[in-house]
Amino acid sequence: MLEYFDPNQVAPDQSFLKDRFSKDWFSKDYGTPASLSEKHIALEIDGVEIRVPEGTSVLRAAALADINIPKLCASDNLEAFGSCRLCAVQVEGKRGYPAACTTPVEDGMRVTTQNDRLARLRRNVMELYISDHPLDCLTCPANGDCELQDMAGAVGLREVRYGFEGDNHLDAEKDHSNPYFSFDPSKCIVCSRCVRACEEVQGTFALTIDGRGFESKVSAGQSEAFMDSECVSCGACVQACPTSTLMEKSVIEAGQPDHSVITTCAYCGVGCSFKAEMKGDQVVRMVPWKGGDANHGHSCVKGRFAFGYATHKDRLTTPMIRDSIDQPWREVGWEEAITFAAERLKAIQASYGRESIGGITSSRCTNEETYLVQKLVRAAFGNNNTDTCARVCHSPTGYGLKTTLGESAGTQTFDSVMKADAIIVIGANPTDAHPVFASLMRRRLRQGASLIVADPRHIDLLDTPHLADAQHLPLRPGTNVALVNALAHVVITEGLEDHDFIARRCDDQAYRDWREFIGEPRHSPEAVEATTGVPADAVRRAARTYANAPNGAIYYGLGVTEHSQGSTMVMGIANLAMATGNIGREGVGVNPLRGQNNVQGSCDMGSFPHELPGYQHVADDTVRQRFEQSWGVPIDNEPGLRIPNMFDAAIEGTFKALYVQGEDIAQSDPNTQHVEAALTSLECLIVQDIFLNETAKYAHVLLPGSSFLEKNGTFTNAERRINRVRKVMPPRAGKEDWEVTVDLANALGYPMHYRHPSEIMDEIAQLTPTFTGVSYARLDELGSLQWPCNAEHPDGTPTMHEIDFPIGRGHFAITEYVATEERTNRRFPLLLTTGRILSQYNVGAQTRRTHNQLWHDEDVLEIHPSDAELRGIKDGDWLGITSRSGHIVLRALVSERMQPGVVYTTFHHPSSGANVITTDSSDWATNCPEYKVTAVEVEMVSQPSAWQQRFDDFDRQQRQFLDAAREPVASDRAL
Amino acid sequence: MEHDQGAHLVRMVNQIATNLSHERDAATRVRVHLEKFWARSMKQRLIACLDDPGHKLTPLAHEAVKHLAGREAEKSHASSSAHQ
Repeated sequence: MLEYFDPNQVAPDQSFLKDRFSKDWFSKDYGTPASLSEKHIALEIDGVEIRVPEGTSVLRAAALADINIPKLCASDNLEAFGSCRLCAVQVEGKRGYPAACTTPVEDGMRVTTQNDRLARLRRNVMELYISDHPLDCLTCPANGDCELQDMAGAVGLREVRYGFEGDNHLDAEKDHSNPYFSFDPSKCIVCSRCVRACEEVQGTFALTIDGRGFESKVSAGQSEAFMDSECVSCGACVQACPTSTLMEKSVIEAGQPDHSVITTCAYCGVGCSFKAEMKGDQVVRMVPWKGGDANHGHSCVKGRFAFGYATHKDRLTTPMIRDSIDQPWREVGWEEAITFAAERLKAIQASYGRESIGGITSSRCTNEETYLVQKLVRAAFGNNNTDTCARVCHSPTGYGLKTTLGESAGTQTFDSVMKADAIIVIGANPTDAHPVFASLMRRRLRQGASLIVADPRHIDLLDTPHLADAQHLPLRPGTNVALVNALAHVVITEGLEDHDFIARRCDDQAYRDWREFIGEPRHSPEAVEATTGVPADAVRRAARTYANAPNGAIYYGLGVTEHSQGSTMVMGIANLAMATGNIGREGVGVNPLRGQNNVQGSCDMGSFPHELPGYQHVADDTVRQRFEQSWGVPIDNEPGLRIPNMFDAAIEGTFKALYVQGEDIAQSDPNTQHVEAALTSLECLIVQDIFLNETAKYAHVLLPGSSFLEKNGTFTNAERRINRVRKVMPPRAGKEDWEVTVDLANALGYPMHYRHPSEIMDEIAQLTPTFTGVSYARLDELGSLQWPCNAEHPDGTPTMHEIDFPIGRGHFAITEYVATEERTNRRFPLLLTTGRILSQYNVGAQTRRTHNQLWHDEDVLEIHPSDAELRGIKDGDWLGITSRSGHIVLRALVSERMQPGVVYTTFHHPSSGANVITTDSSDWATNCPEYKVTAVEVEMVSQPSAWQQRFDDFDRQQRQFLDAAREPVASDRAL
Repeated sequence: MEHDQGAHLVRMVNQIATNLSHERDAATRVRVHLEKFWARSMKQRLIACLDDPGHKLTPLAHEAVKHLAGREAEKSHASSSAHQ
């Protein structure tokens, strides 16, 4: 996550490279970060003349000329530290032996990196290091990947004259508490790279060097075990360690990897690039790739460590079918399963009509797979009943941004945050849900940018170490629109708007209508204080901070979209950005933080029932004709059913079959009992997934899916960046997910003949105006591409709306605040809001099958001490939580992160049933569920809820059905 | 169940109408929203609610659904005459 790793920014000192995006460039460590200066300095190193940007270190300048000075404490993702003294050089006309890492280049400088004196000096330094280091290199896990060993070789160390008898650290106690890495301080050379990585790269500041001199040692927290400390297990320290002091347990067990493949993480919407380091078809470790444009070599605990689910024993490996859900499964071959599914679908359409079936595309599968599922629905099913999980997360982003800015996507790159001066975060929790981006944001906050958080909870971002200016607007759940209107009211009434931007870029009539609306006194911070619960002066201060900053950027998450006015709030945010001119350049913008890895992509690929790929409406005859010509079938010109509409239609009896690829609607969608009723009403449910998820328990056909490690394709992250997913191992069940959809289409009589996902992308490029320049060849060449990528933007579009909007002029939308119908009363006096936690991902199907369970093995209910006291609740008590939809039981966690009157839980564990109590109230424009506001009552109880008891029984029965069908697992490759 | 589904759709369209009520040409905006985002079966069911004297459509929603009904009738008339 370091600016100098951005290929565009690396440019000043890349004159040596023929290939701008060379893999080799990112494989080498240049010792210190790149300088971004435009001014170049000429110097001579060992007689070689070289020109580098001003501010470059001598160490880096030499490395750029392929003169590789020995080093230990330096790394090009960390600021120079100058502690190991191994990179000592001589500079003509200067005294002594300066460290090359801390010495900046000067014009005309003449540097000598190697002579007898320097060689002796380096050997002496190494000799001291090695005198207190175990000599067990042959059996050491770092053997083959140890910088200390490499440097001992490089400096020609041949003897250690001090002997090994003196005081040493060889008996230092190891710490194996973290499930993914070990800490062996006997191998530590106290270079501080781990400590600096924790501070500079991750921004957690969990590590320190404890003691002084000989007593110095790396310490997690206050000399705690890693697991007990503030460590978030991102692994930046492990990656930084030059020895085996901090070492992945997977490498300790398996040995060094022998080859690697660059691919894209399948967890959150950040879309980190990773080097999957392999032995045969086994992943030994995932190392974030510093050539990754989204993550620049950083990662979180999920992406780096939690990949064991891919080989977990629970993986489905054989297709299965059954006639009804109270029957055991029957294992069958692919052909039989596909034929069974196709015949059922055809029979259902024959009895109940063309519109009686539909499909749900996956936000976890690739663009190519998603594209094929919606194509299957539109072309082979002959209707538009396709939807995706974005329905329940970011559909309001699509609606809101398209209405105001003209395109359904965030406006910036992640790196843009490094130029922001004021950052507003609304309804998002980046340190948990988008951790790698949060690290970048924290870096900017440490540099002095102002932070404004609008959230009912005190999120961890507010506790960022070395934060300059943090403002928290702890609003009541459900009052977002009132708050954003108040912020805009301050901008307008205090004359803080950017008149020039508005005049040049925005629709005048819409602006004047909006200005009149927003200027009304009823929108003032004072007038809405009673509604939002946020003090008026805090709102005024926040509005001034944002509007007066040279660059103001807004980031938001599901706390914005998952409300009855989710779409209105997105438009309110866009209004605010346009009014202050914060659109169309780096450092500003409107940035939705997307939840799942490919939720942006699944929307782009035409998953929504009303839009063909590229957000092109099905009612547009010209658009539809292009698709009809390419696909060879007529396409319905009316929108199809959205997910909640499908559920309603199923219960009503008009919707009878559903094909679900890689989504778990039974766990993730609101009002679980309603969803269960809908799924039970179906005559044919086809589930394609890597595990028997909650939805699969209601299925008639179970098609085993492939993990991201088992297929080729692309994911599109929250910054519209298309990244390649590359196959590193064969699919466990023999087919990549796209191949299964192809088979199903063919069985239904609609021919599909793709040989490779690249051919699917070529078809997408041909039909989608914003993708015409995208191809696998271009992706391999450039590493990644941000759409729009077409003739106008051949290398993609990092920043949107620089000159104009796709709709011409920006449209200010009227954003009237309408209170949600979900209200507290005497029976339901508390507001429940739901969210996520760092170690678990979404429904948890993946992370629950890894050691990440150690951090969060059950969902709990966070409750404020005053609400807890009122009800006699203590930490760990069993609580019954009742809403208008249902009743569940969770354990209590008394926490001051909540405001009084608000309780919070996560939905990572199916048996918690968090969505049993969420309601089917939804966003007015998109039907995105109102997950973030549910009125509840909480009381102490002694047994699980009736739903949970039923869930346990049903779960047990369905697992038995699965176990009975499965042959004994040949090899146990579980964790 | 039939009645529930109708009531549910009425609640949804009322919500849309409330949120668009401050826009210019609000009834048209509501009607266009239904046309753009609602499935055929949902629109038909909603239009059928107009026949129920006890429907709970707000005045704005009612106006929009009436427009919608007119446009749908025109469309089906056009397509049936095209077939003749």
